[in-house]
Amino acid sequence: MKVTVSGSRITNVSIASLNDGGNYRSQSIDQQSIPMLEQQALQAQSANIQGVSGATYTSTGFDQSLQSALKKLGL
Amino acid sequence: MTATKTAGKTRVVRELLRVMGTVVTFDVIDDGSKDDVHVALASARAVLRRADAVFSLWKPDSPLSRVRRGELDVIDAPSEIEEVLRLCRDVRELSDGWFDAEAMPGGIDPTGLVKGWAAKRSLDTIRRAGFENALVNAGGDVAAAGTYSANHPWRIAVADPGSRARILGVVELDGSIATSGTSERGAHLYDPKGHRYSTRFSSASVVGPDLSIADGLATALVVAGEEGFSFIDAIDGYEAVVCDRRGGVLATSGFAFS
Repeated sequence: MKVTVSGSRITNVSIASLNDGGNYRSQSIDQQSIPMLEQQALQAQSANIQGVSGATYTSTGFDQSLQSALKKLGL
Repeated sequence: MTATKTAGKTRVVRELLRVMGTVVTFDVIDDGSKDDVHVALASARAVLRRADAVFSLWKPDSPLSRVRRGELDVIDAPSEIEEVLRLCRDVRELSDGWFDAEAMPGGIDPTGLVKGWAAKRSLDTIRRAGFENALVNAGGDVAAAGTYSANHPWRIAVADPGSRARILGVVELDGSIATSGTSERGAHLYDPKGHRYSTRFSSASVVGPDLSIADGLATALVVAGEEGFSFIDAIDGYEAVVCDRRGGVLATSGFAFS
């Protein structure tokens, strides 16, 4: 049996919402310092997550990944 | 590379390790009551480096490469090889033959679950050192213990195979999640029934208690396509979400994004 998931896509997460619920941090993020991928990562929903599961990336792929962006942001 | 951030006495200790052809990240919650977290992390890194040394197919002198060439019997090889091959047979059975390390071109190939197995062992090492809340993400296959904080489970995004900057949704992790697909490394997944490199889904993610099992099942499901939902449904504790070739997102009935 399978069901179709819909409505689960998160869109338009604003930077202000990028706090982690664990309250370990409260830091402002300088948008100007965030490269394009990280901008996309922010816009495309990365609120409040500790990692990304995806097809295995190479080391090069990691540097271009959302996971890398999250790590750079310290999320 | 280590980074820490503190709030009161509790801190998240983060490390990143390039190993097994990918990048592994560690997140360990350190409340200050245990031994040195860096000792635990050193052990966790050693587990992954050891797995790389034993199982690498890129290294012609690795024990697994020698087993494949018939130069080394499994019984004489490091015991991890027999353990992993047994696990591969378990997953072959669980997946109705859609995961089959023994049907791979070029010889026996447990690659489809070795990374998950190694990440789980690595996390177990951290737990044994007394750190009950920790996360190991091995190139996109994630094993979690405990929680991020008292009121916050570990939350992991599932990547959209169509775009590195998008996600399909977020899962709150109790155990593990593994994802297989072709978006990062191309058509490397082999269909043991069709005898060719082929996948029916763009990506498949499996959540469940044991990352080594989840990793093998994700490899099986991305190859099997919709037919694979039946074997996932038959395994207690495991659920799946996939992205099909048209970008549609399908999941087993017990799966939920948070």
